[in-house]
Amino acid sequence: MLALDLFVNGLIIGLFYALMAVGLTMVFGILKVVNFAHGEFYMVGAYTYTLVSLKLGIPPWVALPLAALAGAGIGWLTERLLMRPLYAGYSSWGLMKDEYAVVVTFGLSLLLINLFDKVIGPYPMRGPSLSSVTRMSVGPFMMSGQKIITAIIAVILLIALALFIKRSLWGRWVQAVAQNRFGASIAGIDTARASSIIFMASGVLAAIAGALLAPVINAAPDVGIFPAVKSYVIVVIGGMGSVPGSILAALLLGVLESFGAVYLSYDYRDTYGLVLLILILLFRPQGLFGERTREV
Amino acid sequence: MSLQRFAMLASAAIMSAAFGTASAADGPIRIGVSIAQSPPGSVVQGTQVKQGAEIMMNLINDAGGVMGRKIELIYEDDQGIPEKGRAAAEKLITRDDVVAVTGGHQSSVCLAAIEVAHAYKMPYVNTNCWSDDIREKGYNEIFNPGNYNTRVSSAMAETIAALGVKSVVAFAENTDYGIGQAKVLGKFLKEMAPDTSYKYEALDRAGKDFTPAVLPLRGNPPEMVVNVMLPPAAYILMNQLYEQGVAPSAKTWFYDGAGIADYPDFWDNVKEAGQYMLAFGLYHPAMPMPDSGRQVGQIYQDKYGNEPNRLIFQAADSILLIAKAIEAAGGTDPAALIKAMDDMTFESIRGTFKFSQEPGYTFKQWVDIPFATYQMTEVNQPLSKTLLIQATGQELQTDKLLRPAN
Repeated sequence: MLALDLFVNGLIIGLFYALMAVGLTMVFGILKVVNFAHGEFYMVGAYTYTLVSLKLGIPPWVALPLAALAGAGIGWLTERLLMRPLYAGYSSWGLMKDEYAVVVTFGLSLLLINLFDKVIGPYPMRGPSLSSVTRMSVGPFMMSGQKIITAIIAVILLIALALFIKRSLWGRWVQAVAQNRFGASIAGIDTARASSIIFMASGVLAAIAGALLAPVINAAPDVGIFPAVKSYVIVVIGGMGSVPGSILAALLLGVLESFGAVYLSYDYRDTYGLVLLILILLFRPQGLFGERTREV
Repeated sequence: MSLQRFAMLASAAIMSAAFGTASAADGPIRIGVSIAQSPPGSVVQGTQVKQGAEIMMNLINDAGGVMGRKIELIYEDDQGIPEKGRAAAEKLITRDDVVAVTGGHQSSVCLAAIEVAHAYKMPYVNTNCWSDDIREKGYNEIFNPGNYNTRVSSAMAETIAALGVKSVVAFAENTDYGIGQAKVLGKFLKEMAPDTSYKYEALDRAGKDFTPAVLPLRGNPPEMVVNVMLPPAAYILMNQLYEQGVAPSAKTWFYDGAGIADYPDFWDNVKEAGQYMLAFGLYHPAMPMPDSGRQVGQIYQDKYGNEPNRLIFQAADSILLIAKAIEAAGGTDPAALIKAMDDMTFESIRGTFKFSQEPGYTFKQWVDIPFATYQMTEVNQPLSKTLLIQATGQELQTDKLLRPAN
């Protein structure tokens, strides 16, 4: 029974991780940029949801899309103001000043954490729940209405994202840019717009994750650090740039941490993912779903 | 050098020295306050320490200051990180010329900062670091007018024994304070309730999900879960204990030993998970308290709109202690201040006491610091409405405690 409890809890946590990690892996897979401010997109979503609900009295179900909007906004602004100058005029990623992206996004992360700390304050703020059911039995499991809703929304979003990339016109643009930016531009695809779309989608996913978790993990200026660190681990385990790989790795990590905390030691909970990461790097360096590439 | 030139230089040196002395003597007396003003430290605690210290500084300054000089508080943000606390103490002592350092509210930070105070032989007034280790170091410069782990754990063990609880699980944060208190609680339970089984689990204070630590309790819940964690981790733990139906429940008490019940953001963060919580506290409006304490509490309430809590009083007392020591010593010489604190009977705003000189956890400690045990019986309940079941000098009344229906 305990094992089943742990498995379900691990899957739910894994879904939260997946929402975060997928956005990060998309940005890397398509733009070849590691976004160190990804955790702060999560934080922006958590605060937007919490503040809009608590301070303006707007119902949580309305605050949720507003948080997504805030995530899209910060994603768009980041790409437009900070990322685009890095690759403007370059047709090939090989020539792009991508090392600058690391510095720029790291700086953005520090800026956002300190900005929210000074403007809103350092106190943790608990977001309102989307459900008034604080705990309920689902078969043999106990969970809050918020966790169930969060898990359902996470599944819907991940499926919607997969369909968007696979079926929509914009999604096909994104796929084309991911395969060959220069080739895509020759084929008439607006690569700059595709980059914007991907940053916005990444911001939306992170912000929704932040909003959904705000009633569980209270919003605070540094709240994004924890999911961001997990996301980096997940993205490497899943294969950099692979969306299915990230989802699988996120679920795997959630379950692994859940079991490890009980059957091994809670103290080393955060190290289980790192051990898995090292094993993956040793035996399958491209990650679970990554492709082995060689540049000449 | 001509005689005239020598005379000019000598006069200038004498005048400069004279003005310098006059300026230092007439200027404000600087007291260093090292607190967490940004994460990962407890900013909630840091803010309250700051508010309490400022109330006392204003009271002293409005009354004419100390020996005719105003008090000035110099703040340093230690972020709740030991190495930053050490650097903060070093800066306050060597660069800001403070006469004493105070404000410490997280044990790991205090343990680092007191090494600096000890090395420079500067008075250090520990506002709210509970770890017994701080006292057991036996440093002559460190004074403890606040609470300590042994006090909390012995009071909690007494309550647990009175309740007849047979199994206790404590969740302690992985810090000097958390682990220290959890261990001392185990020691006292062995003495006071030898039939009670006890174990504690250390959790990461920066953790965000404690469900895997909570789930194993669902199948076979203990009769009591004890919290030895500070917010925000404590809030997350409480919500997850409640969500899983572990505690508080009809079968399992939830007992807070970290003094979080009177935090201003407590109810915003825990809601139903806080109802029926049993709490160890160092202040309750129904506790006996000197008029000076009531005055400070009223000033706080008028200014900030919240009921005061222990940190407000403890911080105010830390500043008052230093001010009184300066008056008693007739100056700010560190050795004289330390001797004054050793010798004085301190009329604090929470009661009158003399620092113990007994080695061990009682060294330079207010040993009989007043405490209270109470229960939150309603969601969003203000401290003044909570159910007081014990205050210093009063009988423990566990029969008044309420339990949830399920």
